[in-house]
Amino acid sequence: MSSDPDKLVAKADKLTKLTLTRWSADWRNATLNYEQAANAYRVAKKYEKAKDAFEKASKGQEMLTSPWDAAKHMESAAALAKELGNWNDVADLYRRASELYVECGRAQPASDALGKAARAVEDHLPDVAVQLYTDACSLLEEDDKDQMAFDLYRALTAVHIKLEKYTDAAAALLRLGLAADKCNASNSQFKAYLSAIVVYLYANDVKAAEKCYNDCSQIPAFLGSDQGRCGSRLISAYSEGNVEEIKRLAQSSTITHLDHAIIKLGRKLPTGEVTAVKAGTEEGEGLDEDDLT
Amino acid sequence: MSVIDILTRVDAICNKYEKYDVEKQKNLNVSGDDAFARGYAAVDAEIEAALEKAELASKEKSKASTVALNAELRRTKAKLLDEVPKLQRLAIKKIKGLSTEDLAARNDLVLALPDRIQAIPDGAAAKQPGGWGPSASHTEIKFDSDGRFDDEYFQESEQSNQFRQEYETRKRRQDQGLEMISEGLDTLKNMAHDMNEELDRQVPLADEIDSKVDKAASDLKNTNVRLKHTVTQLRSSRNFCIDIVLLIIILGIAAYLYNVLKK
Repeated sequence: MSSDPDKLVAKADKLTKLTLTRWSADWRNATLNYEQAANAYRVAKKYEKAKDAFEKASKGQEMLTSPWDAAKHMESAAALAKELGNWNDVADLYRRASELYVECGRAQPASDALGKAARAVEDHLPDVAVQLYTDACSLLEEDDKDQMAFDLYRALTAVHIKLEKYTDAAAALLRLGLAADKCNASNSQFKAYLSAIVVYLYANDVKAAEKCYNDCSQIPAFLGSDQGRCGSRLISAYSEGNVEEIKRLAQSSTITHLDHAIIKLGRKLPTGEVTAVKAGTEEGEGLDEDDLT
Repeated sequence: MSVIDILTRVDAICNKYEKYDVEKQKNLNVSGDDAFARGYAAVDAEIEAALEKAELASKEKSKASTVALNAELRRTKAKLLDEVPKLQRLAIKKIKGLSTEDLAARNDLVLALPDRIQAIPDGAAAKQPGGWGPSASHTEIKFDSDGRFDDEYFQESEQSNQFRQEYETRKRRQDQGLEMISEGLDTLKNMAHDMNEELDRQVPLADEIDSKVDKAASDLKNTNVRLKHTVTQLRSSRNFCIDIVLLIIILGIAAYLYNVLKK
């Protein structure tokens, strides 16, 4: 076998092309050749050619009905695309790899592939990254492997916060809480709820934060937990307009145990006016009277 | 015999034969039936005794005995004041043979009692308002002092101030230390919770590894056994064939040699 990757690729191509003399493609040898060529290209740092070779190798494996190897080759191709900086390619290749993994029936590597994709593109294509993270989480949840989804949710929240889409970030945190609830990981669940409250307060949406707190208080354990108490103190400090209390709470150890991104938000609290809440409650009472009459 | 002797003897005889004094008994009996009158008479007698002691105290030269007598006086006054409410209750009760005016009079008497009791001088009344301000926190608590202990009391209050300050600083330092400990414990708790969750996460993974490794091990065992069988089979049959073939060759060679030599 010649070690020149170009020759290998040419040979393999010939093996797969159907001509008069060749009635069925010899995928096995072709795949072997493609793999060797791809490795050689990678060593030679010819990433573009290596990527192509890996893609063809993966197709060959698919033809040989071994989706696992096909998926592995796809992942290698995608990693090379990352080196090249073709972000769209990266996303596509990783998606293809994850689909192949799902064909094997292995959800964990599938979601891992999507996670790697999202991490690679989150700086350049954040919306695509959001989509990838969401898909990865749903894959895991379908397979009842919620525990693994925590990290993905946290990364998703970080992306949302970077995009300054705070409602989305809070929604992601609440989904984290739900996943944690399914696995009885109460500590993570409560931390997720407290983080959601902090995110709402950072977005200066005190009403939403209150609503969130009330929703989460349906779970009795949350009320009595450290995080629940911290949340209630934050909300009451906001409604009283007590800035020192808010700052003190943000420095407290309960907030310090949350994620980095949330800690950064917490340190910047309070944002905007905190004394506007009283006016809001008065309006509420006026509406009630109207409703009665 | 002098007059004094006669008087004394008469007194002694009267005391001895008191019980035959009809009039006196009648009075005593009347008061005996009446608890109020009895109690009132007792209180009255005690007040008189207290007044006498007060006079004695005011004449005393040594301060210590004055103080002791005054203390006793105060104790007696407190006791009498306790009796007053009892008498009040008795005074209101109607006793047969008692007129309404007498009843009203009794009430008045009882009400006058506390004033009379308070009026018994016990030597500390004048000094009280001035000396207690700085050292006593409770103005109703009365101490045994005529005010000459005031200086010493001031000294003690300085000491107690210092003590209080020291106590406060130590308490503050303890609070700071406890806060640091509490923060450390908080971090520990958080880490422990996270470790718990991580282990929970790893349990199903470990179970999967367990089952997969079991399957691989049994597959391997199976394969080994079959391989062993095959190899033994192969080897024995091959050995057998080789043996036969070699034997035949040797016999052939021997026959050939025999033939050649015979010729």
